[in-house]
Amino acid sequence: MSRRSLSRIAGQVGTAAAVLLLLVWSLGPVFWALVTSLTPPADLLSRELRLWPANPSLEHYAKLFGATSSSQGNAVQSVWPQFSAAFVNSLVTSLASTVITVALAAFGAYAFVRLRFPGRELLFVLVVATLAIPAYTVMIPLYRLMISLKLIDTYVGVTLIYVSAFLPLALWLMRSVYQAMPISLEEAAWLDGAGRTYTLMRIVLPLAAPGLIASAILTFLSAWGQFMVPLVFSPTLATKPLTVLIPEFVTRNYVDYGLMNAAGILAIVPPVLLVLFLNRFLVSGLMAGATK
Amino acid sequence: MNRRTLLASITALPLLLGLPAFAQDQAKPHDGKAISVLLPPWGTLPKEMTDRFTSETGISLDTQTLGWDDIRTKIVTSMVAGTAPANVTEVDWSWVGQFGSAEWYTLLDDKVDAALIADLPTAAIFKFDGKLMAVPYNNDFRILIFNRDHLDRAKITEAPKTPDELLAAAKAIKAAGIAEYPIGLPLSATEGSATAWYLLTKAFGGDLFDAEFKPLFTTPDSAGYKAMSFEIEALKAGLVDPAATGLKDVEIQELFKSGKISFDVAGWAGNLAVYSDKAKSQVAEHAEAGLMPHVGPKSRTFGLPGAVGIPVSAADPEAGLAFVDWLLKPENQMASYAALGNLPTRTSVLEKLNAEGKLASGDVLLQQAALVEPLFAQGTPGWYPEFSSAVASTLNQAAKGQISVDDAVKQIAEAAIAAQAQ
Amino acid sequence: MVAAAEPLQKISMRGSRRRNEEAWLGLAFVIPIIAIMGGLVFLPVVGTLLDSLYRIDPMRAGTPFVGLGNYAATFADANVRQAWFNTLVYVVIAVALQAVGGLGAALLLNKIQRGRRWLLAVLVLPWCLPPVVNALVWLWIYNPSYGLLNGVLQALGLIDTNRVWFNDRTTALFLIALVHVWRMLPLTAIILLAALQSIPKELYEAARLDGAGPIRAFRSITLPLISGGIAIALSQSTVFAFNLFDEAWILAGTSLDTRTVIIQVYMSAFQNLKFSFGMALSVLAMIASLLVSLVYVLKVYRETRYE
Repeated sequence: MSRRSLSRIAGQVGTAAAVLLLLVWSLGPVFWALVTSLTPPADLLSRELRLWPANPSLEHYAKLFGATSSSQGNAVQSVWPQFSAAFVNSLVTSLASTVITVALAAFGAYAFVRLRFPGRELLFVLVVATLAIPAYTVMIPLYRLMISLKLIDTYVGVTLIYVSAFLPLALWLMRSVYQAMPISLEEAAWLDGAGRTYTLMRIVLPLAAPGLIASAILTFLSAWGQFMVPLVFSPTLATKPLTVLIPEFVTRNYVDYGLMNAAGILAIVPPVLLVLFLNRFLVSGLMAGATK
Repeated sequence: MNRRTLLASITALPLLLGLPAFAQDQAKPHDGKAISVLLPPWGTLPKEMTDRFTSETGISLDTQTLGWDDIRTKIVTSMVAGTAPANVTEVDWSWVGQFGSAEWYTLLDDKVDAALIADLPTAAIFKFDGKLMAVPYNNDFRILIFNRDHLDRAKITEAPKTPDELLAAAKAIKAAGIAEYPIGLPLSATEGSATAWYLLTKAFGGDLFDAEFKPLFTTPDSAGYKAMSFEIEALKAGLVDPAATGLKDVEIQELFKSGKISFDVAGWAGNLAVYSDKAKSQVAEHAEAGLMPHVGPKSRTFGLPGAVGIPVSAADPEAGLAFVDWLLKPENQMASYAALGNLPTRTSVLEKLNAEGKLASGDVLLQQAALVEPLFAQGTPGWYPEFSSAVASTLNQAAKGQISVDDAVKQIAEAAIAAQAQ
Repeated sequence: MVAAAEPLQKISMRGSRRRNEEAWLGLAFVIPIIAIMGGLVFLPVVGTLLDSLYRIDPMRAGTPFVGLGNYAATFADANVRQAWFNTLVYVVIAVALQAVGGLGAALLLNKIQRGRRWLLAVLVLPWCLPPVVNALVWLWIYNPSYGLLNGVLQALGLIDTNRVWFNDRTTALFLIALVHVWRMLPLTAIILLAALQSIPKELYEAARLDGAGPIRAFRSITLPLISGGIAIALSQSTVFAFNLFDEAWILAGTSLDTRTVIIQVYMSAFQNLKFSFGMALSVLAMIASLLVSLVYVLKVYRETRYE
């Protein structure tokens, strides 16, 4: 065996080990949440370590989906209507803010890289600097503002706040993507008489697909996980998302670990599906770039 | 004034004049109105109750549920921004000083039936400067809850009556191998740990502050000092789970339900119903309440009730008041106990429940209920939350062995003085 | 040279009409951004900055102007100092682990051909758990009596008895930082992956023909070309670590050992109702995280420029 193939095998083993490490790191805690969600309440407090529950039970999921539910052990109304409403709210606000953020970032970042206009650098620095603002800093003035605009507890209000929170990162990411792109293609199009906007839509954006999709993934996941903003700006089930609903299962007199974990496992599903779906484009976007 | 509000204010007159019986016979005075109420999960009334509210008053109800900590964030944000978080909101006993001095809640003295107030001993806790700012609907006070089976097996016939007896009983149970850590006490840096210390301070026959809010717990012969030593000694002696430094009160309750501990020292009165329910507890047949152990002549405990109040900025306070009145009706107090485990605040309702045999350990509960006092005789001060979080984090440090009890009480006293100074 | 400021010069040769048109188009593209960021971020920040100069305390009458009094008060407070120290520890641990782990994960994903789609989904999974649920899952893992961590370490024979992890301050800080890293690592990895994917393959081909090994190719091609991505990734991990709240709050409450600046802000403003004090502290937190991020941005840009 030659040295070359030896090092190749070593490389493959190393890659396999790295993949394994990544799998354990990412999946381990989620797997444990799954196990917890499937363990009957009584077995949760056993000192024995079990990697899979002895008597798996869908009890906690039944509490979420069932016709009746329990709160502090009492049979109360099913939480399913609340859960499903919150699920839809999370989807709507996250998707809307993703679409708007990515669109604004796609055009805005292009302007920051390729178009010269007064105040360009200053504006970019200011916008990116807002990344460092903690939510609590702006909460009260923002609340006053949203009240006066009558946007409290509306999809529009929550979505706008999400956009303002996640736009800086998306913008910054897209700017670095455009900067790394060779300008020669655009120049060729301009020489052919194509307009700026046409060039951007037809030539630049398809090439920037991986960056756009990465921005979309980032924005969607950030919006999906938001807690502070909807806590204050989404008081009712009209717009309240899962992240605010789920902690209500932990009440002052009761922590239902099983129920929490079950709700968490369900909350993972849409973002993962979205990532799987988007990733196809992330890869194909890359292929387009390679085969040009 | 448009016709509808004119009509509403005319029909609301009898209510304001304190003639609710008359008002009920009338056409519903608030028919067609809508109000929002902001309550914690245990105040989320079942649909059957909210439907009944709507059919009785004609007001449609929009219930907003938030976690308990989050409700405060929500109230503070909207009140500072000058709007109302909802028509009616939860008011916790510990917020009274803050919200009272901020004048955020409508004073209710002449708006609520005097007979109702007389039936609510805990209403005193919701007075700020002698004026009522919220009406208690959820009774909570601390009581000793123990596992009778553990005591029997350790040949202990009576529930401990003093802190020393409690320690002795715990040692006997541990020695007999019945429970590894018989005493359940939260020692994490959370509010539940602080309230357990306040309770034990009362148990040792003292108070936290004198009438001028000067700390009374810094000398070794003071009740507060003894109470903290008791907790730390019990921890060191292996009677309290070493993991308690990370446990909240709710987690202690889970331990009790699973039979891992013998005493829930700072037990919640309302929890007896949960502990004695087979569906929720593995020790349902053995859970019993005892009067809080005490050093002085009588058992002492303090109340931590939850109330409903009407923010000053809320629209249509009369409709909000209609909800408050309705929630406090005997049948609704009973329904709220049955559905959500909220122990009724009206003495008459508690007695009725006990007479009907619906109250677990009812006799002891009623006996202890008569002994409930507020934590602060002068009313909960505005600096309470700041003081209390200092207590929780300092107690937690002492339990982790980072500082001595002596240092801890001094540190707490300093924090109390600093909190008052600002 | 990667940055693309130069090409504009060529265009500017075509006269002022063209340039005017360009400026208008640029403004049109950024006007929605100006509107949203100006209205929903800058306006409120200015409001908070002004508020922090007054004494705003709903429990006390009047709102006198106190200048920088609130800022001075935050420096005098021992709890605040402790919170600053804890926050710095979190920032150091989080940024270091995320940079190394995130770059590793991004390189791995960039290299792998088969199953990349699935591996990417696995990678972002931690970020899909709502933060509160995430913290609770870890609370359960770290549980001294029934937790997975004690169970696994005992099964491996690394410890004999159950440990109460949060009794030791250093361990507590590290474990909380670890939960944060677990959740935020995907963000770093995705940013770096996007940067890696924009590197043209031909560059590596050329380097190989020049006889450069993988390490030299990494140093002379990969690192400089993803320097922008690294600056973004490091800054965002700094900013998020500065804003750490949920993990420390759920895992250890108000414990002084682990309290962060933002928890202190929350406690001051919303729990103790010392509004302007809390606002002043939040402004300081914002300035601090800005300054630290700026250091990376400058350093990363400078170091990679000379390659």
